[in-house]
Amino acid sequence: MSSKKVKVTDMSNNQGQLTELNQADFLPLPPPYDKLELEPKMKPLTPDQRQRYECDLDGIAAVMIPRPKTEEEKKVLVDKFLSGLTKLFNKEDNWTFIQALLLTMEYCAKCQTCSTACPIFEESGGKEIYRPSYRADVMRRLYKKYIKPGGKFFTKLTGDDIEVNWEMIARLAELTYRCTLCRRCAQTCPIGADNGLVTHELRKIFSQEMGISVKQLHEVGSVQHIQKGSSTGMTPLAFKDNVEFMEDEVKERTGMEFKWPIDKAGADVLLLHNAGEFLAWPENPEAFAIILEAAGISYTLSSDLLGYDGVNYGLWYDDVQLARVALKHIETAKKLGVKKIVLGECGHSHKALTVIADRILTGDYNIPRESSLTLLADIVKSGRLKLDKSRNEDIYVTLHDPCNVVRLMGIVEPQREILRAISPKFREMTPHGVENYCCGGGSGFAIMPNTNFPDWRHSVAGRKKLRQVLDVFQDVIGPEHKKYVCAPCSNCKGQIRELFSAYGVFERCNILYGGLVELIVNAMTDIEKPFLEWDWH
Amino acid sequence: MGALQYFIYLSVAVLLLGLLFKAMKIARMPIHLRWDLYPIPHEKGKGHYGGSYFEELDWWTKPLKVSLVSEVKEMSKEILLIQSLFHHNRFLWFSSFPFHFGLYLLVGYLFFLLLGAILNLSGIVIGATSESAIGVTTHYLTVITGAGGAILGAIGAVGLILSRIFKGELRRFSVKADFFNLALLLALFVALLISLVTVDKDGALHRSLAGNLITFKPMGEMPSPIPLELFLAGFFFLYLPFTHMTHFVGKYFTYHKVRWEDHPNLRGSKIEKAVTEYLGYKLSWSAAHIKPGSTWAEAATDTSPVTGEEKKK
Repeated sequence: MSSKKVKVTDMSNNQGQLTELNQADFLPLPPPYDKLELEPKMKPLTPDQRQRYECDLDGIAAVMIPRPKTEEEKKVLVDKFLSGLTKLFNKEDNWTFIQALLLTMEYCAKCQTCSTACPIFEESGGKEIYRPSYRADVMRRLYKKYIKPGGKFFTKLTGDDIEVNWEMIARLAELTYRCTLCRRCAQTCPIGADNGLVTHELRKIFSQEMGISVKQLHEVGSVQHIQKGSSTGMTPLAFKDNVEFMEDEVKERTGMEFKWPIDKAGADVLLLHNAGEFLAWPENPEAFAIILEAAGISYTLSSDLLGYDGVNYGLWYDDVQLARVALKHIETAKKLGVKKIVLGECGHSHKALTVIADRILTGDYNIPRESSLTLLADIVKSGRLKLDKSRNEDIYVTLHDPCNVVRLMGIVEPQREILRAISPKFREMTPHGVENYCCGGGSGFAIMPNTNFPDWRHSVAGRKKLRQVLDVFQDVIGPEHKKYVCAPCSNCKGQIRELFSAYGVFERCNILYGGLVELIVNAMTDIEKPFLEWDWH
Repeated sequence: MGALQYFIYLSVAVLLLGLLFKAMKIARMPIHLRWDLYPIPHEKGKGHYGGSYFEELDWWTKPLKVSLVSEVKEMSKEILLIQSLFHHNRFLWFSSFPFHFGLYLLVGYLFFLLLGAILNLSGIVIGATSESAIGVTTHYLTVITGAGGAILGAIGAVGLILSRIFKGELRRFSVKADFFNLALLLALFVALLISLVTVDKDGALHRSLAGNLITFKPMGEMPSPIPLELFLAGFFFLYLPFTHMTHFVGKYFTYHKVRWEDHPNLRGSKIEKAVTEYLGYKLSWSAAHIKPGSTWAEAATDTSPVTGEEKKK
């Protein structure tokens, strides 16, 4: 079937894969990736995987839903889905989002303006199924048919009918993981409908009603987070070991010797990192420790369960898990008696704890939460650090705006104030700020390694960000120039790491990625050696 | 009074009650979790680049700075000019803008008809040669809004219908109801235009009908294009509340209660009070990690069934 002509009602057909992905259809990249053969190849699923997992949307199995073996199994799943759909529009079950969802269900004019904003739709060469409105229109038809009074009759009359079967629901489950929830689409909607929210709410049906979610988000994500203390599996003991290791490394790299505050009751600030930083990018928490120590900030880390891992995967798929994790974070802060929680360089933890969880925190659970970018900007502007921007003079720097921090929280300027103070060769991507593009790893994508999903993530979801990075450095794209993508978000860094690795961006273009604090420390005159280790990337 | 007149009364009543019901239904829903989307224009000094109060150190210790002027300015551009469509979907804007602006003018036309009818009842003559300045002004505004609205609306409706027919991305998502809605409005615009051109060039007849309607006097005999136009108008009023064309109601909520709703939940606030009530709502979600029948507060604090093992037993 020609993917360009796929209709919403085709979701229910039983003719196998709905859309074929061909890399030649994707938008060409700028040099040095302007030839298709220079791009990593997308792997098809193996015959065994195709047989075992639902993949009839586009040949990708991100969720890895086992194919039901019998018609009875399918029927049970269909009934469960419809039961979940009903609960989504029940105020007791879904007070959290029912108002916003209902508005989006009722008022879309199907003008397709949202499609112009979606990097996945655009970069895929305009695959119909990736339109923000495609997924939303399926949902809207379901809403009209099953939730609105007389829906089964009226949808036939108006032409909004859609056949509900397991084929459609299985495709829909996969389709909810082809959107990064960046909400760029919602930003352009003339009516204010929010197709990103539709993705979010659909994921909730699958998780909260059907028990279907991506293993890395639920089982080894939020469940492991609550049970072991971190979605990385890191226990409190392991966390303390890691801190000791990082203290030693700071001493080795900078000559600075100091103990990191852990479980210090009465500190002003509880600093909450994404625990992935401790394992994958220890230089980030190390840089934080150096800056806060030098600036004389009264702060502490926590070794409590969840107190050292600020992630909250519930944000992407499950309101109950979101609430559980958020409350545990707050309890940690309460126990320590801090004045505020400061969130490290992790976009979704910013959004989850500061904004989304705001309306579940009542009474003394309502402890102030703040972005580290705001605190860091204040430290840099105050002159408490001895900084020399010429130490970053040989590095061309651009800034990636994490969607959760920027478009979804309005924190735009602090990180730029810092970069202007420490980086002589700072340049902006186009577009940037609240109109930025997602890294391609949002809404959990960056931690989803299933089957051939990473190939799709590199080639489609992350394509726009790669394009932006190549474009902004196009005049200095050769490996003789040092270039740095500053991405103050752990999740974005994870995606950029994989993206750059798949395309060999460091080797070919000498573009490094990392956080903001590393660049700040690199500009600190108290530290003799450069903090950024270019050869060890 | 004839059947048509009763039909008009019924349709206006259904329209007003329908819109009120829709607005109340949305307004009475629980306050949702925050789902802000920036830029938010009322963020004083920051709205123009998309910044928020979260950029301020210890923001909760400072008064929230709100600029109503910026918000109204942004709203005006969006409502009158449909600026989001202008920036992101210029092709459709060329049809959508005249269509919507035509509708605004026709709302103005209705207003000036009613105003003129009331002025007439007060003894003020409405017309180009009226001795009263307000009579002259009302006359010209009636003619301009009526003819302008019908012409612009018709142009926009034709453009939108053709776009939905010939532009693949619109055609694939359009259903029978979308075409019906546009065709209905096109018919209404054209009927009004024919009436204005053929039998009521200065709008006096429409004004007189409006006067009869508000004073509950029989509308009497009408020249042939008018009853069809009134029927179409009545049908549109009757039908509108049941369609997504009430998005002018929804748009208030999508902008002010979702995208631009950035009120923090402060201790002792109305939001906190409402949330406390919601946390007592019972959950019926069936997945293994949620204990059935528990309240939100219980589900969020009791992490024992988190794996679902307990439920499976």
